[in-house]
Amino acid sequence: MTSSHDPTVVTAVLMAAEAAINRGLALDPTSARDLAELAGTVLAIECFSPDMEVFAIVRPGGTLHLTPYSEAVAHVRVRGELSDFLSLATAEDPAATLINSDLEIVGNTAPLLTLQALVTRMQPDWEAPLADALGDVAGHQLANLLRRIFRWGQASSQSLRRQLSEFILEEGRLSPPAAELEFFYQEVGALGLRVDRLESRLKRLAQRLATVR
Amino acid sequence: MKDNDTADDPGTTHFGFQTVDRDQKESLVRGVFDSVATRYDLMNDLMSAGIHRLWKRFTIELSSVRPGQTVLDIAGGTGDLAAKFSHLVGSEGRVVLADINDSMLKVGRDRLIDSGAVGNLHTVQCDAQSLPFPDHSVDCITIAFGLRNVTDKDRALRSMERVLKPGGRLLVLEFSKPVHPVLERIYDTYSFRVLPLMGQLVANDPDSYRYLAESIRQHPDQDTLLGMMEDAGFVSCEYHNMTGGIVAVHKGIKA
Repeated sequence: MTSSHDPTVVTAVLMAAEAAINRGLALDPTSARDLAELAGTVLAIECFSPDMEVFAIVRPGGTLHLTPYSEAVAHVRVRGELSDFLSLATAEDPAATLINSDLEIVGNTAPLLTLQALVTRMQPDWEAPLADALGDVAGHQLANLLRRIFRWGQASSQSLRRQLSEFILEEGRLSPPAAELEFFYQEVGALGLRVDRLESRLKRLAQRLATVR
Repeated sequence: MKDNDTADDPGTTHFGFQTVDRDQKESLVRGVFDSVATRYDLMNDLMSAGIHRLWKRFTIELSSVRPGQTVLDIAGGTGDLAAKFSHLVGSEGRVVLADINDSMLKVGRDRLIDSGAVGNLHTVQCDAQSLPFPDHSVDCITIAFGLRNVTDKDRALRSMERVLKPGGRLLVLEFSKPVHPVLERIYDTYSFRVLPLMGQLVANDPDSYRYLAESIRQHPDQDTLLGMMEDAGFVSCEYHNMTGGIVAVHKGIKA
């Protein structure tokens, strides 16, 4: 293990993450079945900041095992900063994110993209454990309520992002809009070219003047 | 910390902070574990706030045990590690849960049967100093929180080295020496004041838990144990401190 952190802390974090992922997978049989097809795949995640190495191993039953130590040869190894990994995990277009980020990838990227897509589209059936615990009627009602709260949370967060963006760009004029910024860069580029041309012209004129004299 | 395996007189050894005849230690340790066997798991959870599960999980990760292998879990007590290994080695593999203490072994065996870990699991009552297994027969040996109770640790390590297959690994999970002086002071207060009190309240047995604290202080520190493993013939020896060195897991490979 290359991590400089106490194995107790790393193991605790990974154990909690593994339990949460596997609980989610247990409630989403489609994702679990897709994951089972990758059984035996070892993904090594090497994070520079914080400095730690984590291995994600796909088990035959369609579950994920997270460990700070593995002697298995990794099928794919991804190196980078924590922020890059978080961007990848939440990206809508993981392939583009992978290409444009500073993440360094060694090995076969196919299982990595499959895993990422799987995590993004996971839709756990939270109603099942609620119905088991509370009965069908109460479980269904509570699940509906939770779904509504979740949808409201999602909508609120999207709306907040949009309003914040509008305020920064339109109301407060704290930052120029992307199109305006792009136009400005184009203008600066064009001005630079014109200055270069003018400089060349002046040089030519100066040379001609020197020849005439 | 020096190697406190033996007291100044070669005929004696330590039992906690007491110096006792070497022949006596085994029965004294047996008395302790006979007394705590039934509440061993509960006390482990209480004393470590459940962290012992993380220490054991990391030890299992370090073992890199694969399906079909043979694992010997010495001083396996109530079978925490053995249950996990039973799952990892699968039906083609074999796990031997060994303990010198009959009471602990019975609790462990019953618990394993109850949890469905059967078929590839065997229990053996034996002394770690003279393991009753053929040479080069085991892929991995673990001893979790057991080595400090062994009278002659060097002899036990040599016995383990004999039983392991070439390339096989030994993992020793044991209490050790905290790396930070402040943590050591807090840990001392906890060990000598809180632990016996907890033993009194939960198990009505403060003496056994006082022995636990004393035996931890008498156990060799990280580097000393590393040297002992190398002396016993293990190579590529290393250790990982956990929870600030309160516990360390040592790994050694049989050449």
